[in-house]
Order: sequence, then C-alpha cells, then structure tokens
Amino acid sequence: MTARGLTPSLLLQLLVVAGAAGARWRGQGTTPHLQSIILGRCAEYDALVNPDPRGRNCTAIWEAFKVVLVKDPCSVLPSDYDRFIDLSRHSIPRDKSLFWENNHLLVTSYSENGLRFLPLCSVLYGRIGDFLSWCRQENASGLDYQSCPTSEDCENNAVDSFWKRASMQYARESSGVISVMLNGSEPSGAYPVKGFFADFEIPYLQKDKITRIEIWVMHEIGKPKVESCGEGTVKILEERLKKMGFQYSCINDHLPVKLLKCVDHSTHPDCVLN
Amino acid sequence: MANHRCGSVSEEEPCCDISKKTKICLCVFFGLLVAVIIAVPVGILMWRHPLQEWKGKGTTAHFYEILLGRCYTYTQIVRPELGHKDCQKIGKAFTTAFLSKDPCSSTEQDYQPLLELTAQTVPCNKTLFWSKSSQLAHDYTRVQGDLFTLEDTLLGYMADGLKWCGDPRSSEMNYQSCPDWREDCSNNSFSVFWNAVSKRFAEDACGVVHVVLNGSISNTFDERSTFGRVEVFNLRPEKVHQLQAWVMHDVGGVHSDSCSSSSVNNLKRILKERSIAFSCQNNYGPIRLLQCVKNPEPSSCRFYV
Repeated sequence: MTARGLTPSLLLQLLVVAGAAGARWRGQGTTPHLQSIILGRCAEYDALVNPDPRGRNCTAIWEAFKVVLVKDPCSVLPSDYDRFIDLSRHSIPRDKSLFWENNHLLVTSYSENGLRFLPLCSVLYGRIGDFLSWCRQENASGLDYQSCPTSEDCENNAVDSFWKRASMQYARESSGVISVMLNGSEPSGAYPVKGFFADFEIPYLQKDKITRIEIWVMHEIGKPKVESCGEGTVKILEERLKKMGFQYSCINDHLPVKLLKCVDHSTHPDCVLN
Repeated sequence: MANHRCGSVSEEEPCCDISKKTKICLCVFFGLLVAVIIAVPVGILMWRHPLQEWKGKGTTAHFYEILLGRCYTYTQIVRPELGHKDCQKIGKAFTTAFLSKDPCSSTEQDYQPLLELTAQTVPCNKTLFWSKSSQLAHDYTRVQGDLFTLEDTLLGYMADGLKWCGDPRSSEMNYQSCPDWREDCSNNSFSVFWNAVSKRFAEDACGVVHVVLNGSISNTFDERSTFGRVEVFNLRPEKVHQLQAWVMHDVGGVHSDSCSSSSVNNLKRILKERSIAFSCQNNYGPIRLLQCVKNPEPSSCRFYV
C-alpha cells in the first residue's frame, strides 16, 4: 500500500482552503476519519508488513496517540507522544536507515515501500502519521477540521511535536551504514541548519552502533546545481559529522537515485542511457 | 486450592463432622464441576471449528480494519476528489459479498453492490495494464502519478495483497484457510472478485491504453492470465482505439520474448479482430530506467557521457 502524496493541484487546493476566510491557522486541518486511518495503518503493518511475534495492540496504540487530541493545539510537546512511541516502536534493520531533507516523494519512491530502505515513513510510528494532520480546536474540545497550527503559528503544535519525537526515536534505533539524501537544487541550501535532521536526528545518532554515514547530494534534472559535496551547507554538515567523530563520505547524484529521477525526464540529455 | 478429599478420605482418618449424605452430595457436586471444567473447553473447541478446511491461506488478519483504513486513506488523501464516497457503506458491501456464503460458489452478482459504490472514472489514456510484471508496473505508477493500474483505483487499492473468504455455517470470516484456485475451486470469492474488477477496469478504459509485459519469460502474452482472459476481451473498441505494449527484458537478463515474438503477435491478432490497433515497444525508456534503479551495475545502465 502507498500513500501517493500531495499532487500539485491538491497542494493548491489545500493552500486555498487554509487561506480561506475564517481559517485560524496556517496549516491543513485534521484529516477526516483519522481514527479509522490510523487503526487501519497499524493493522496493515501488523498483518502484512512487519508482524510482531508478541502481537501489537493497535487499539492501545490509538489510545496512546489520542491523548494529544484533547490538548490545546499549541501546547503539545514531543514527550506527549512517549507512550505512543513506546507501544509502536520496533527495531530497524542495520544499514537500512535513510534520512532526508527536501525530497519526501523521492525518498518514498526510492525506498520502495521499505524493501530497499526503511526511511522514517516506513517504520510503524512514521507510517501512522505520514501525510496526516491533526489538532484540537482552540476553544473547544472537538477536532479542528478547518486548519491546524504550523511552526509559524506556534512551536508546540501536535504535528511538529509528533515528527520531532518520531525522528528522535528513529535516529536512536538506527545502526550500521546511515544514508542521507539531500536536495542540492534547493535554493536555501541542501542541509537545513535548523531542521528535523539537524536538530532531532543527528543529535540522537548512537555513535557506537553506527559504522559510517553516506551523504547523497541529489540535483534536479535540468535545474541549477546550487550545492554539491564539500560546498555551502553540505560542508557545514560534513564538518559537524567530523567533529562528532563519525566516519562519512559524500556522493553527488548517487547513481541509483539519479536513475529514478530520470524516469520522469527520460528524454533529457542527462538521462540518456548507453 | 481447597483441599477436597472427597472419595479419597482414608478410612483411618475420619474427616470432620460432615454426615455421609453431605459427603455424597459434595462428591457428586465436585465430580460434576470437574466434568464441566473439562467438557466446556473441549465443546467450545469443537464448536468453534466447524469451518471448512481449504488448501489456501486464510483471510488476512484484521481484514476489515485494513480495508476501512485504506478506503479512507484513498478517498481523503490519495484521491480527495472521491472524498464523498461512504467508506462504511463500501466496507459493508464488501463483506456482505462473501460472508455466510459458500466460498466456492461466488458470483460476480455478489460483488455488484460493491462495484456500484466504488465506481471511479479513470482519465483517458491513463490506464496501465500489466501481466507477469506487477512490481515493475507499480513502481512505474508510483513515480508516474497520473497513470493507473487496477491497484491504483479505489477498489484495487483497498483489496491489493489481501485474502478473504467466508463460510456458509458461520457469519465470521475464515481466518484458518481459504479455497485455492487450483486445488479447491476456481469460482472462489477471491478469484471472482479480481475477475469482476478487472473486467470493469477494462470496460472503463478509453483512448490509448498501455500494458507492461515481461519479455524475460516465455509466453510474454499469456492467454490464461487475467490480462489475456479478461482484460483484453473487455476493452471497448468504441472507446479504446489503441493498445500499446511495452515489453521489458530483465536488465542483463534473458531476452526470451520481444515485440516480434509469436505470443505478442497473438495479442496483436486478437486485438485486430476486435478492431483495436496495436503497437509495441521493447524496453520502453522510463521503465528501463526503473529497472536500472534496482540493478545499476550493468553497462546498459550507465549514462551516456
């Protein structure tokens, strides 16, 4: 099963809806039928993807998740998800972790639903939250289906706190060779110095479990190469990892990923095969 | 545990002040209790397994929760233009089609209400069939988001990878086993479903449609496959004017069949008889690139520099 992601027209619709008169916050409102979706994703993971021999209790996982839905939309902390993470966490196979910034859809396609790599959105707790949105109403007890706060509205919002907590867990459980996919065509820089990877993943990597870190700086086909290995923010990342004592390497346009990007641009001169 | 020494009280040890009659009553009572304690689980065990036994795998665990969750994910997130669909009704229609019924006597009529509730328009020129190439075809539509395989439509998305069957003597799903197509019966609730939805998928197609075929096996076009048996024969000539085949060979693998092979010519002939034009391409570029993603080593996967 794959959540196909936000098509450009959908993104536009969402922006229009959120910007419509009356929307309190900047972000997308609570996803309708949130409970059924979450229970379904958990059940599917347990039945088809990665059954837990001890048996997962999806109802308990939902109950643990639910606690944030009664909290003020700007008062949800990462630690509010501790119980949820406790019940839904599972080990991550060595060498399968894939971190990323600014290429969600590419990572989803490349990881092949967890077969090739297991990015955060392919582990159970990441899968549960992927592409969903949720928050309580500001002055009432029900869910807000109109809009939800983003980090620009307030820091301690339900969705950002979720991903912070999930990212910390994911980083802690990663081992072996760690892969990182960055977007070297992103105008603001391939490695966001303040972001989920920088603030909630790197600090939680376990040095004694990690052999080395491999950075892939991918560039959009036919677009400018804003940064490459050893340049700009990538250099900042490399120096940070070096300082932390990690062995690392950096590759520009890692071949298998570039081949994937070329599927959409097969006639471009950069994509012609032998 | 209380110390009942009913019947095993030694003659030398008179027990308490209980009369003989009371002792007999107590013995009978506890004897019955023991019998019930043994009989009830055995009875339940026997009563709970009157379900038929089949050669295939049983219904997928948590079938209904998965089905419902997928329906909501699809209609709220993947294709929000279908947000008006009633997933509760759809889920109910799905299970009604096979619960409490003989899993070997399934008919397309059983699935009619479900088909009606999940009707969906696939845009013209965007239908992608596949045969013996499931992973590749789905990898392609994952990247090429505007193309649809059957499993990218609502109903296909819901049912993909799941297994289900019921039992005439129970209102429950049979999680133990389900009929195998070959070893038990071909008109089983699972196979009948896929035939019915494949037929509709083909009937609904319009414009230029595509199919991904596997050129590294013999019998690239297999008349016994769902594509060969059902889909090809349900394309509507008044709506579909061309079928374009992409015959893919494994990278660095065997070239068993290609566009010029006899099985592909067979497909061409069948379509011609149905007044549908046919064209074919070996190793269509974008999909070839996808194959290389999995296996970038061969020289044929290197970029021309």
